[in-house]
Amino acid sequence: MKKKFWLLPLLACVLMLTGCGKSLSDQSVLDNVKESNTITWGVKGDVKLFGLIDVRDGQQKGFDVDMAKAITKRILGPKGKAEFVTTTSQSRIPLLKNGNVDAIIATMTITPERKKIISFSHSYFDAGQSILVAKNSSIKSAKDLNGKTVIGVVGANSVENIKKIAPRAKVIELQDYAQAMNALKSGQGDALTTDNGILFGLAVQNPGYEVRGGTFTVEPYGVAVNKGQTGFTKAVDKAVLEMQHDGEYNRLIKKWFGDVPGFKYKELYRR
Amino acid sequence: MSMIEFHDVQKYYGHFHALHDINLEIDEGETVVLIGPSGSGKSTLVRTVNGLETIQKGQLIVNGHDLSDPKTNLNILRSDVGMVFQHFNLYKNKDVLENIMLAPRIVSHIPEEENKKRAMELLEMVGLEKWAHNMPSQISGGQKQRVAIARTLAMRPKLILYDEPTSALDPEMIDDVLQVIKKVTNESGMTSLIVTHEMGFAKEVANRVIFMDQGQIVEDENSASFFEQPKTVRAQQFLSKIISH
Amino acid sequence: MIDIFTKFSGQLFVGLGWTILSSVIALFFSLIIGTVFAIMEVVPSKIARFIGRAYVEILRNIPLLVITMFFYLVIPKYVMKINGFTAGTIGLTLYTSAFIAETIRSGIQSVSGGQMEGARSTGMTYWQAMRYIILPQAFKIVIPPLGNQFVNLVKNSSVLAFVAGFDLMYQANSIASTTFDQINSYLVVGVLYLIITLPLSYYMQYLEKKLA
Repeated sequence: MKKKFWLLPLLACVLMLTGCGKSLSDQSVLDNVKESNTITWGVKGDVKLFGLIDVRDGQQKGFDVDMAKAITKRILGPKGKAEFVTTTSQSRIPLLKNGNVDAIIATMTITPERKKIISFSHSYFDAGQSILVAKNSSIKSAKDLNGKTVIGVVGANSVENIKKIAPRAKVIELQDYAQAMNALKSGQGDALTTDNGILFGLAVQNPGYEVRGGTFTVEPYGVAVNKGQTGFTKAVDKAVLEMQHDGEYNRLIKKWFGDVPGFKYKELYRR
Repeated sequence: MSMIEFHDVQKYYGHFHALHDINLEIDEGETVVLIGPSGSGKSTLVRTVNGLETIQKGQLIVNGHDLSDPKTNLNILRSDVGMVFQHFNLYKNKDVLENIMLAPRIVSHIPEEENKKRAMELLEMVGLEKWAHNMPSQISGGQKQRVAIARTLAMRPKLILYDEPTSALDPEMIDDVLQVIKKVTNESGMTSLIVTHEMGFAKEVANRVIFMDQGQIVEDENSASFFEQPKTVRAQQFLSKIISH
Repeated sequence: MIDIFTKFSGQLFVGLGWTILSSVIALFFSLIIGTVFAIMEVVPSKIARFIGRAYVEILRNIPLLVITMFFYLVIPKYVMKINGFTAGTIGLTLYTSAFIAETIRSGIQSVSGGQMEGARSTGMTYWQAMRYIILPQAFKIVIPPLGNQFVNLVKNSSVLAFVAGFDLMYQANSIASTTFDQINSYLVVGVLYLIITLPLSYYMQYLEKKLA
């Protein structure tokens, strides 16, 4: 019995040591992906329009996924392969830092806090945070959320933002968008908040709900890569810029957002 | 007046015919000893009397209650019919005194003071008043069985069933227990039905002996004539085997 | 690790509070419900035994998360509004009660049949014999396995995180996603869970020795 008391400090020490170790090698990701002719992308699996797993073939599909495929071809050439790993808002940074994925393209906003631990490409999509409510809801915009319960997703920055606009809103965080949407439908909250692109996707899947009140933040999405991978970051930036010049970018915008009711997709066009 | 009446009683365990055409009448105040080889159905017969075993056919009436009728309230019957088991079955979570006082308190609602006084008297009678606050695990087998007898008597039963009360005891304990049973049967005038292998004790205590074999009653005699000259060959063989040992 | 603890101690203690509250409520009710179903599993009535058996088999063979999601998403939609904490605690209670029922049932069945016969032969009803003789002995037998169930219950309360129940795990997720320091966030919370579970297991060991 007495022996067991050693367990606690011992365990703590072991875990602290692992916590202090260097997590990633300093190899160049750009060299690695060129060698293997494959880029492994972290994408969303539950976000319609950006990254959603199609139950029929198990493939991720969406704007982020198509962007990743196009960027891959432009970096590695036409025979370059893009592989996809499904991530959530919560798991994407750890997966990147551990080297499970080379880059993340998963509705990820470029923020100063995130920039402290990872690097971003230039923005490839201009989102803004908004709210999704039931069509019969009395909530007109985010300002009406004081005293209401707002559903967000763990790991997304939208929860912080809502507190600035409506300080008395009660916020609950769920694991992913599917759960958050179900919770909204079950009446666990009065509104769901995140980026408008994601919300429009949810509105397409759930007809009784709509995006209200426009955007109240600017959320530039970026491709995330590990710190110090300047070569790879530059290659991504160059690829995105090329896509904007030759019109592939706008084609993808129209492909994914052209049919979304209420979404002014042409404002997203880039030249 | 009769205390126990068996009329053409049949008992089966699946296909095994455990009690075969039992017809038996025991009057109030009688002390009846039930003997026979093991597996002859003695214990089964005794256990049907307080409903621990059910019967499949025939009629069984005990103290005016019809046990063949499923609507009969066995709890009322059992509060008048005591039972002493081979393995004592003292409540392991209660001390000696509580073992005796529990049923009078929660079944018969005897006032606490009266209940305790009676329990101590009974413990004195079986010679265990000093052990009142010991747990069953702290006393010997012979002592346990004497407590079990006291526990049964505390309910003031009209009939006591003894199911091989000394079979699980070390030889040196047996006599103490038999003395207590003898005292109880002689002094109380209660009806007793005793399953035992102790022939000397049986001869001394019984008015009547029932010999069973293979689920049937083979002989039903008064004690003196049975032990002097059993009528059937099976009983003669059984007795000679027991006595030669 | 210390940094995270000092910086977020308020949030962590809130989480600790919800975790303990949920565990205590679930422990209390799962013990009662578990005992009721354990008894149903051993009574003479075939219908009661069937219901008891069905309850235990269904609830212990469904993942806790599924039961919890049912109460979080389905019940509010069709029956009544319940929040994440309540849904999680109900899920935890029912799930644990199935395991406790199973534990107590085996305890009851390991009390020898002679104890029941001894009690019944003095005229006690089945329920009196259960209450005064069988259950007290059964509970004593099942203290060690019951202790395991209690520790499991505390750990399983982390299911609250999935339904925004504000418990320790929920706070860990939230801290980890604000600081991006996953390792230390979960480490702190792991230690806080140990602070609840270790004394609990030592207490159960002590109780076991004391009653043995």
